[in-house]
Amino acid sequence: MSRFDLKGWSGKLLRVDLTAGTCTDEVLNEQWAKEYLGGRGLGTKYFTEEVAADVDPFSAENKLILATGPLTGTYGAANGRYMVITKSPLTGTIASSNSGGYFPCELRYAGYDMVIFEGKAEHPSYLQIHNNKAQLMGAVHLWGKSTQDTEDLILAEFHGDAKVAAIGPAGENQVSFAAIINDKHRAAGRTGIGAVMGSKNLKAIAVRGTGGVKIADPAAYREAAIEAYGMLKQNPVSGQGLPALGTPVLVNVINQLGALPTNNFQKDTFDGAEAISGETLASTYLKRNKGCMGCIIGCGRVTGLAGARFSGDGEGPEYETLFALGSACGVDDLAAITKANYICNEYGMDTISVGATVACAMELAEKGLVSEQEIGMPLSFGDADALVKLVEMAGQREGFGEKLAMGSYRLADSFGAPELSMSVKKLEFPAYDGRGIQGIGLNYATSNRGACHVRGYMISPEVLGLPEKLDPQATADKAVWTKIFQDFTATVDSSGVCLFTTFAIGAPQFANFCTAATGAEFTEETIMEIGERVYNMERVFNLKAGVDPSQDKLPKRILEEPISDGPLKGEVNKLDQMLPEYYQERGWSAEGIPTDERLQTLGLA
Amino acid sequence: MINIQFYSLLRLLLKREKFELPAVVNETVGQLLQRLQQQLATPFLQKLLDDQGTPIPGTIIMVNRRNIHHLEQLETQVQDGDVVALFPPGAGG
Repeated sequence: MSRFDLKGWSGKLLRVDLTAGTCTDEVLNEQWAKEYLGGRGLGTKYFTEEVAADVDPFSAENKLILATGPLTGTYGAANGRYMVITKSPLTGTIASSNSGGYFPCELRYAGYDMVIFEGKAEHPSYLQIHNNKAQLMGAVHLWGKSTQDTEDLILAEFHGDAKVAAIGPAGENQVSFAAIINDKHRAAGRTGIGAVMGSKNLKAIAVRGTGGVKIADPAAYREAAIEAYGMLKQNPVSGQGLPALGTPVLVNVINQLGALPTNNFQKDTFDGAEAISGETLASTYLKRNKGCMGCIIGCGRVTGLAGARFSGDGEGPEYETLFALGSACGVDDLAAITKANYICNEYGMDTISVGATVACAMELAEKGLVSEQEIGMPLSFGDADALVKLVEMAGQREGFGEKLAMGSYRLADSFGAPELSMSVKKLEFPAYDGRGIQGIGLNYATSNRGACHVRGYMISPEVLGLPEKLDPQATADKAVWTKIFQDFTATVDSSGVCLFTTFAIGAPQFANFCTAATGAEFTEETIMEIGERVYNMERVFNLKAGVDPSQDKLPKRILEEPISDGPLKGEVNKLDQMLPEYYQERGWSAEGIPTDERLQTLGLA
Repeated sequence: MINIQFYSLLRLLLKREKFELPAVVNETVGQLLQRLQQQLATPFLQKLLDDQGTPIPGTIIMVNRRNIHHLEQLETQVQDGDVVALFPPGAGG
């Protein structure tokens, strides 16, 4: 058996064969750990080594990997994150989805860096892990339950202090944008990973761990943590803005800018923005803020509804949800949006994709392409009650929910209007219109999992001015900035640390953390190189999966239909001016294929 | 009049959504902010500007929905009827 001598990582993964019902410990590949770190990078390395790119996402041959990073569960920044890696049923690309909370840390404390699920269970099952020991349990009694009820039942029968990640009915029903929910309210949301979990008859993972994370150089780690803590506290975004108002603070910012997609991107300013803003949330349904384990930012929103129409308790809505279930659908009813958010968490669904898919359906109805009879109710932009109803129907795959469960692209395509799906590679856009903010449009077009903002958050330089202000309407220099953001994000996603820390700390701090934690040497340069390696590895997988460079595109509306209103009226995305330069910056061919030379430099060929 | 709108931490701090000031000929955004501070009892400028009086990284100040960073920064002139929106640093995802 190979050895794993480094610290930081636990050095051990758990392989669960759902078909055979076995759980086996394996030593983590030390060389890969140094080259790919953990989380998104190391999880994708294992996935691409073990799974053929043409695999059917819902087949037993597809695998589902839960991967922490070497910093997950340590102190110092916001180190409570993990990634889920598989092949996406929504996009057909590599899927990796990030979440934070307490579950990821508990997995480390139980002795594992990673869990690889393969095969398919004959009956509904869930995994119990208790300090280096794992076993599969029957989950027939949990099937059909919400994510919260599932967690409560598991805590009662397994261990009261266990941490749980589960799918809800949406994952069981293989809704194409189903999520995995951990700690009841935190979502590994995007790309349909919950549907893959459901296809394997895997209901939940419950973990109890009382160990720790071994640090190679505790004194150096403490020094790195003190430095990062100070930078996070002093930074006005991570130290003040995010704790006070969370991500919803952006509703008014982006609406004022004129880039808040409204009515399925037919407008970019929303008359109801103030009603669904972070400021309004803070004065209505917000109870308190909340952090993931060890987080000093605490951007989470604990909320409650006690109205006659909608009631319940939960977490959210975040900014993205306020867009998708709000402005994208023309809905300015904050209680309805919050309720729909709760339903998404209970059923286990990505709020962005389900909201954007309902918005697409609203435009199909507006244009007379789908009838009231087919939907089962009248549907128009701004209809809050219909929104709440349709979100639940999507999770249940009931009635028109069967169509919604396919995602916006397949929905629009089935009614002969695929151009009304606001998506890239079939993944629905998040809450920033790439027509008025050029670089985020380039990132959407080139993101390895489709239209995703947190693969290269160009909003930071283009809107927020961090680390420096770029003109959002200019195309110059956007290629190089997009590459830097994409690569650094891939490293952060591989470390176990929250992306929000990067408003305050950068590659030098990550190098210090990783070196002190693991005992391997990391520099600012190697930190960036890891990200580039991960990005190219994902790209190569997508190419093998048949997602070719022709998919590095944006919908016709974003490229050809100028913004109709607001301060950015008349703008379109100028992707053709940025994409060639982007390929060049990446060292890819003019056609967007990674060159052998580039892959060799990165150790990928 | 100039309509000044408060967002995010400023709204929590000042407990108001907006404030109106009469326009002054040839006034800049920087001068307007100083005049606003004199009118309001609660200190708020430190949420937007550093010790040198320049916008803290992440601060967004818009005049008629245009970011002053792409205009004349704090030297951007304001006039009667303008809407000035003040956002202390914040972010989302």
